[in-house]
Amino acid sequence: MTPMDLLHLREGAPPPHRTLGWDWRRRFEACAEEVSLELVGLNQTLTQLGLPIEKLFMLELVLAEILNNVVEHAYADRGGGPISLDLSVRDGWIFCTITDQGAPMPNGHLPGARRYTPEEMALGDLPEGGFGWGLIHDMSDLLTYQRDGDLNRVSLGIDLASETI
Amino acid sequence: MEITFEEKQTVAVLHVVPDRIDASVAIQFKDSFRDLIRDWSGPVVLDLQNVVFLDSSGLGAVVAARKLLGAERPLILSGLSPAVDKVMRLTRMNAVFPIHANVDDALATHGNASAA
Repeated sequence: MTPMDLLHLREGAPPPHRTLGWDWRRRFEACAEEVSLELVGLNQTLTQLGLPIEKLFMLELVLAEILNNVVEHAYADRGGGPISLDLSVRDGWIFCTITDQGAPMPNGHLPGARRYTPEEMALGDLPEGGFGWGLIHDMSDLLTYQRDGDLNRVSLGIDLASETI
Repeated sequence: MEITFEEKQTVAVLHVVPDRIDASVAIQFKDSFRDLIRDWSGPVVLDLQNVVFLDSSGLGAVVAARKLLGAERPLILSGLSPAVDKVMRLTRMNAVFPIHANVDDALATHGNASAA
């Protein structure tokens, strides 16, 4: 199921005619430096397309979190592997699919958001990680995960018209 | 990672030079910060005005920096871009740091410049 199909399911509407969109496909090695370079390049390109800067930041953050999870978890045992990033902008949405060949998500599902109450914590107990999935859920208007054979496929959508948090 | 150190009487101001603190530089950030504050016993202002992008790994590194200073040395943040501010708010880590619009505001509150 593509993110577009999901959107139609959610809204219960027939598929609209697909307005001309913009597509981008990248394939790169799973390492933190590559992820950083890809995100800078993507952000520059999308800025030139005239997309709102607030939404571009949300996209960059959600992609950074998902891609770094691939680097740090999915490929943790094999020290790297390829990541594919497919992105399209159409019908007022940004849709993205991130594909890797690493280990599946724990229990076969997307992890939930972990929330902290730092104001109630002692200094030494403050978390230095575990923020990622909370941010991913906060930043996405649509989010799905599929294990497809040996592939992990995370798809997300950002509604360019939704109110930003 | 390039972080410059500026002594403002009792307060150390650390200016982050690069425009991103992300997973690719989080460890370098921590290492540079640790080296710079090793012999400093007062409050520290971390000037983030150049930083346009902070991810969860970068945030983790800033929290680690806070913990390195211990309870007796405050870590004050200044110059948060809208993107950095959003990450701080959504994770609620803004509750952990005094946050100021710029270095001058931070020094006016936490320094002793007014007594000079």
